[in-house]
Amino acid sequence: MALRLDFTMDAETNRQYLNGHPVVMHSHHYLALITKMAGELEDIDGTGILRDVVEETMRAVFDDYIRKNGLTSAQDKCNVGREYFSVFGLGKMVITGDEQGGEVRLVRSHLDEGWIMKWGNTDKPVNHFTCGYVAAMFGAAFDKPLKSYTVTEAASIAAGDSEGKFIVKVS
Amino acid sequence: MTVMRDTVVKSLAKITVQGDENGLIPEYEVLVNLLPVKLLNTFSERIMAAAPPDKKAEVEEGLVRAAYECGYHTGCGIITSDIFNDVVLPMVTEGEKDILRGAYAAFTAWGWAKSGIVQLKEGEKMVIRAFDYYEADSGGEGLRGYMLRGLSQAFFDLAYAEPYPDGMDTYICRQSKGIEVGDPYGEFIVTKK
Repeated sequence: MALRLDFTMDAETNRQYLNGHPVVMHSHHYLALITKMAGELEDIDGTGILRDVVEETMRAVFDDYIRKNGLTSAQDKCNVGREYFSVFGLGKMVITGDEQGGEVRLVRSHLDEGWIMKWGNTDKPVNHFTCGYVAAMFGAAFDKPLKSYTVTEAASIAAGDSEGKFIVKVS
Repeated sequence: MTVMRDTVVKSLAKITVQGDENGLIPEYEVLVNLLPVKLLNTFSERIMAAAPPDKKAEVEEGLVRAAYECGYHTGCGIITSDIFNDVVLPMVTEGEKDILRGAYAAFTAWGWAKSGIVQLKEGEKMVIRAFDYYEADSGGEGLRGYMLRGLSQAFFDLAYAEPYPDGMDTYICRQSKGIEVGDPYGEFIVTKK
């Protein structure tokens, strides 16, 4: 399956849309700083907020695409998330698993590589964004409610591993 | 000739970005991402709402800082890029002033903010008005144009502070009006820190 991409622009405001959803460009500086700030706000569970927001908002994008394109197989639905990840410039992932969970390998990663470009390696995984993203992807693939999957970052490019690894389990 | 805003907006608005074979967007000396507006606005709203009263200013500063550093580093890449050289530089006759005009035309073209300079005292003060910006759609309380505050501060630093990368944090931007609080436009004022 190749993701259908429909880029449009509102002539009045110049806002940009991808498949009907407003999108905007930022850089690795922005995402790295947002991630760092979320991590520092432990007392209000900043990383939890980031993961939940990513899961909710990405899930809406995936569900909309799946519905409009009449996709029915779990593999096709999962590929929507995988292909969007690359279109968004977030990197390249390889997915294995089923309704009970699975594993996502991050071969390339905007956030991890951007983090290293900005600050060098970190001593612990920092890709909370992709944890939320993967939860949205599995939820959409198997038509489960939000927060049905718990995602743990087991290997991290930012922390010095050659690839990122995300373990997905039913919550 | 000075920078013809409509010409710049039309030329730059044609550009769309998406990931390469590695799923990355290396442009303007940074890695670019393309994210749903809803994600960015919802994160800002939730993190601000969760912050206790004595921490809200710190969180707000963090959101502005993310946009500022993004704007400072990416901005340098933008104003030295081939596309900026091709489209904007041929019209530049008033130095930094025209570079800034071109930058706000780029902000408009790329959907960050339909914005422009309404007052400029070179090296001292700039007033920006924005008639549309994505953070105007965000939920929450008070003025919430964190992104445009950071970007405006960044581009004034690039124009009038020490040459990149030594000019960071020379100027500061505050927001005085916002569509998100019922004003007809957002207004952003950059002054020396």
